Amino acid sequence: MNRRLIRPQAALTPGLDVGALAPMVDMMTLLMVFLLRTWSTEVAPAPPEGRFELASTTAEGSRRPAVELMIASDAIYVEGRRVVSTAAVHQDGLIREVYDPLMMMRSRGRVEVHAHAEVPYAVLRRVLHTARSAGYTELSLVAVNSGGL
Amino acid sequence: MGAEEADIRPTLLGVVTLMFLLLFFLLSTSSGQRLATVDLSLRSPEDLAPLPHSGVLKRLVLTLAHGELTILAELQTTDIAAAATTVERREIRIAPREGRVDLDALTEQLTALHQLDPSQQEAELSPDDTVAVAELLAVTDVIRGPDAAPRFPKLALTGTAQ
Repeated sequence: MNRRLIRPQAALTPGLDVGALAPMVDMMTLLMVFLLRTWSTEVAPAPPEGRFELASTTAEGSRRPAVELMIASDAIYVEGRRVVSTAAVHQDGLIREVYDPLMMMRSRGRVEVHAHAEVPYAVLRRVLHTARSAGYTELSLVAVNSGGL
Repeated sequence: MGAEEADIRPTLLGVVTLMFLLLFFLLSTSSGQRLATVDLSLRSPEDLAPLPHSGVLKRLVLTLAHGELTILAELQTTDIAAAATTVERREIRIAPREGRVDLDALTEQLTALHQLDPSQQEAELSPDDTVAVAELLAVTDVIRGPDAAPRFPKLALTGTAQ
């Protein structure tokens, strides 16, 4: 009779019951898998000024070491250094201010373009042609992956 | 006397604590944006024309201007009286829907063309100079198709739409 009245201390805290802990571990594991699958430790570079928002894509190509070229709403940056105003590149021909620094880093052979979602194709095309003329054969556009799990 | 069951609660609590720590670490070091790259292939007017494709779908060219898409497909003619090199040109216009590119209609048309010749992997896209990067990427995603079932993965960008 006395043994039945004196219950073990753990039984007084139903929240710590094994039956309650097991689903919690399951949920945590699922959350971890979800986070590891959808989140990224890569931080998208952003210009110091002006609007900048990457477009989205369903492609899943992974990033590789490359010369980073950023086309923001107001300026173009090569490896984080502002080289020319975006408004100044609407004429025809190569962009000298982009071409020269790219030539100096030519050995890297690959260019990754981070373009603002609203930048017109005219600007992107001129930047890509400039990179190609500077000897870069591998050109890729960086975007936010919008695919699911 | 029956053997008492081992108490596994301390072990489970340890696992939960470790999970919490890992979760905190992940949330503090990562961001919700997962970046991906889209390989671009440029084609200049001075580039040599590619070799003709041996399948039914000889060439596929898309032009994009002001939300309107035009698909120009060159298909090997099925007319037995025609020469083997004779091609049939099929032009499909996709009008914009609510001021934007009708991606559903484009998917439907490209899927039909892909089914005609699954061996053709190349396509050319000629966007207008005013097309925004976001719109361009949305269209290239449809043309390439999903990674699991690609339609025309070898996409080349050309100059301004005429």
